[in-house]
Amino acid sequence: MKMKRRDVDDEIPTASMADIAFLLIIYFMVTTTFTATRGLDFAPPKDDDNPPMIEKEDSVLIEIQPRGDLVVDQKPMELDALIDYLKPKLDRNPAKPVIIRPDPAAPYGAMVDVMDELRQGKEKGLKEEVRISLPTQREIDALWF
Amino acid sequence: MRLQARLRSQPTIPTASMADIAFLLIIFFMLTISFEVDKTQLTLPKTELRTEIPKKAAYVSVDKEGRLRVSDGEEMSALVPGVEDVLSFAAGVVAMEPGKAFVLKADHDTDYRHVDEVIDALKRAKAEMIYLLSDQETVDAAIGGG
Repeated sequence: MKMKRRDVDDEIPTASMADIAFLLIIYFMVTTTFTATRGLDFAPPKDDDNPPMIEKEDSVLIEIQPRGDLVVDQKPMELDALIDYLKPKLDRNPAKPVIIRPDPAAPYGAMVDVMDELRQGKEKGLKEEVRISLPTQREIDALWF
Repeated sequence: MRLQARLRSQPTIPTASMADIAFLLIIFFMLTISFEVDKTQLTLPKTELRTEIPKKAAYVSVDKEGRLRVSDGEEMSALVPGVEDVLSFAAGVVAMEPGKAFVLKADHDTDYRHVDEVIDALKRAKAEMIYLLSDQETVDAAIGGG
């Protein structure tokens, strides 16, 4: 009996090669953006030799308690209510500085939460960017006491 | 009649474009990769607003216990004993490269006084821009946290 010989196609299909390459590219693009290379930017005042004299009365003082609770102008307040409290004050005087003064024992995360909220003030209904002031303990000691 | 010997074609893979793909990938990663200069394990604070940190920024890390590490953005971070060392390090970096960005990588639960001292040192060293390294706060996390 005569066997019928089959023709074998001797090519390797490379059509999917491009798919694999693009898959890799997409995978790396997605994973590299997850690494923490972003943060809250904060520019310290430039002219350190001549700091602006801020009177306590002309500003809003946000104190952060050791447990992370907020006290704004001597009144306890939730973080969510902060912008609503600031709105009438800052609409009247957008240049009014907002001073963040965390307790030395307060968690760092609480200060970052407040700063994050204030930096988004314009998106949350304020007319201008909030002028945030974050004096360090040394500056407070030098200015106020 | 004798049939001519059949020419058998050698099976080959067209690999000419393989190098192109590989180089494309290599170039892509060379442009995008930023080496992690500080490997301190800590929990970053979460923020909704996050701006891109420039490459090769100098790092100051503060872990939960207040231990300080510094890196100029090129070398791996090294432990320093006190905040005065951060000041001299930052002053050196600013003298070499004025306007260099500093990244403050601190644990969300660390006492603020450690961070306060570092910010004070960076201010005294005339750092122009400080980035507070953070993770993305998602809407779910915000609801869960509030």
